[in-house]
Amino acid sequence: MRNILLIAKREYLEQIHGRAFLFSTILVPLLIVALLGWSSYTNRNANAGKHIAIASDSANLADAIRRQMLDDKDAKNTVDIIAPASEQDRASLLKLVHSKAIDGMLSIDTSSAGAVTATYTSLASGGFVNLGGIRSALNHAVASQRLIAGGVKQADADAALKSVSIDTLQLDKDGRIANTKGASPFFKALIMALLLSMPIMLYGLDMARAIIEEKTSRIFEVMLSVARADDLLAGKLVGVGAVGLTQIAIWMIAAMLFMGSALAATALTGDFAIHFSWMEGLLFPIYFVLGFALFSAMFSGLAATCETSQDLQKFMPLAIIPLYLSMGLLPVLLKDPNSVWAVAATLCPLTAPYIVLPRMGMAAVPLWQLAASIVLLILSIWAVLWLSSRLYRVGILMYGKRATLPELVRWLRYS
Amino acid sequence: MPVVELAGVTKAYESKVAVSNLSLSIEAGQIFGLLGPNGAGKTSSIRMMMGITIPDSGSIRLFEKPFDRKSLERVGYLPEERGLYKKMKVIDQLVFFGELHGISPEEARKRSTEWAKRMEIADALPKKTEELSKGMQQKIQFIATLLHAPDLIVMDEPFAGLDPVNAVLVERTLLALKDQGKAILFSTHRMEQVEKLCDSICLINNGEAVLSGNLREIKSRYERNHVIVEFEGDSAFLNSAEIAEAKNFSGHAKIRLKPRGNAQKLLHEAAAVATIYRFELVEPSLEEIFIETVGGKTNA
Repeated sequence: MRNILLIAKREYLEQIHGRAFLFSTILVPLLIVALLGWSSYTNRNANAGKHIAIASDSANLADAIRRQMLDDKDAKNTVDIIAPASEQDRASLLKLVHSKAIDGMLSIDTSSAGAVTATYTSLASGGFVNLGGIRSALNHAVASQRLIAGGVKQADADAALKSVSIDTLQLDKDGRIANTKGASPFFKALIMALLLSMPIMLYGLDMARAIIEEKTSRIFEVMLSVARADDLLAGKLVGVGAVGLTQIAIWMIAAMLFMGSALAATALTGDFAIHFSWMEGLLFPIYFVLGFALFSAMFSGLAATCETSQDLQKFMPLAIIPLYLSMGLLPVLLKDPNSVWAVAATLCPLTAPYIVLPRMGMAAVPLWQLAASIVLLILSIWAVLWLSSRLYRVGILMYGKRATLPELVRWLRYS
Repeated sequence: MPVVELAGVTKAYESKVAVSNLSLSIEAGQIFGLLGPNGAGKTSSIRMMMGITIPDSGSIRLFEKPFDRKSLERVGYLPEERGLYKKMKVIDQLVFFGELHGISPEEARKRSTEWAKRMEIADALPKKTEELSKGMQQKIQFIATLLHAPDLIVMDEPFAGLDPVNAVLVERTLLALKDQGKAILFSTHRMEQVEKLCDSICLINNGEAVLSGNLREIKSRYERNHVIVEFEGDSAFLNSAEIAEAKNFSGHAKIRLKPRGNAQKLLHEAAAVATIYRFELVEPSLEEIFIETVGGKTNA
């Protein structure tokens, strides 16, 4: 145990004094804030400042659509009307769209009795983004026109068609109501997933690279004369894991200080109205430690079989695929946080560290699922450590060439 | 008192037998040379003594007890492949290795400073290892091996990479440690150092001990049929019928006589054509014994 602690202390002090720790402690949160800010900014501005032309055979309908579209003051769109529009007018507008003189053309045909057909043409691949606003304006205008044609007054028609906003409420497992706003659960899930996945990946791979470097520099030969291979591996895991926990503690303290500041009251609004429960604060370091232990143990054993960092590349999918799967599941979680996929990802040890906390931000996760997820992770870590320590014991003394699969199987049988 | 005892130790990797039925014993206050060509099994034997690998059969005893990792606290090991943490400061590195061997950080720091002065590298202590030359790193590793005052010192090629001045410094240090009663085992290819330092040797080839025992006794087993001649003048006497083989290095000749060759007759023949400064009948050198013993029998 003394040797494990000495090796852990050496690893911890070397990493904590390194520039990589300083940069990642500051850069990772900055990167996340920048990413979310950029995402929010582009989302808000995707529909803004567009120049759209409406070509319709009904001037009243075109005008009603235009009024609806201009009602959204944030959009700052320019809407031109050509009505009644001939085929030549529509062809000319298409040329303007093609030459980028305007962003899009909304062509409306009311010639069929009782039916309105509409086509929106634009160049931009993201043209679909603002289609929701156009569709809403079109449907509102058509409905309004039909009501007026039926004898309803304009004011009554407007009152009848007035949009109703929906507030979302979320019940926690104790039945308490928590207010959630717009995209805030998604952003919260994204922050949780990034804050967990980045340190797990960074420190896990950093440890694997350090093992290869120490193998190349032959320091293992000296170390093995004073400590057992299992102690070396355990010391490394404890030391590097402690570095990750230190980083997370710094982030949590910084987040708490920020939450208590006046700046938070203005910044954490709307889509960014993000708050964390004490349970999330408790489980965050637990899932970090478990996730880190699982992936680091796996990569330590594999790194011992490699001669260079390039050799390690072939094992990268083992780390990347669970991460990509988890990130890909975030929209699924948002849609139904208690779906079969969400439960499966919660229980699967490879995805649980990335999925459980984002899922908790969207719905109350049953306690049995949390307990099962932690137990399965611990069992997996034990199994991976058992395999890795065997590869590690033999691999760190094998020089000269990369081990083949049959050799790895033989190494497992040696110990 | 035997500090290390190997009895019938065997180690095989896949189909290759690295060490076969090796037995040896090293006493306190003795310098022991483990010799052999590349791939003979020297490093495999040392790794088993250090508990890095486990023998397939046979037994290893350290300090008169069956092998136990606790005993390694009394052993200093300098492997052939040197390794230090490049980013660490030299002093921190030495303290770390000292602590791993069971001494307090304060004591490790004090001893590191003393050893650094003795090995003439005190200026290097606050520097990072990567800033030092290879020879300096070698001396740091040498200190790390000795910092915890081990009773058994195991060194694989301790002179590799050292310039002549530092090689002499290491030689003197090893002799001083021997005088303190330490048991020292080193493996090397440099036979002149073995002749100068070792009390006993074990020559292994293809994993088996082919020659072992006290160095003086081993050399005395060989007939004094080698002659060293230093001369000036005609070297025609080197073609004498008494000589089996001769190597002439500009007035310094090494001669091997025929089995019944007459040294006195050769001296007369030489004196007749050249001025003789030295004519010495000697045992074969360890290098010659080495080549004669393992020559043409290696698989490496």
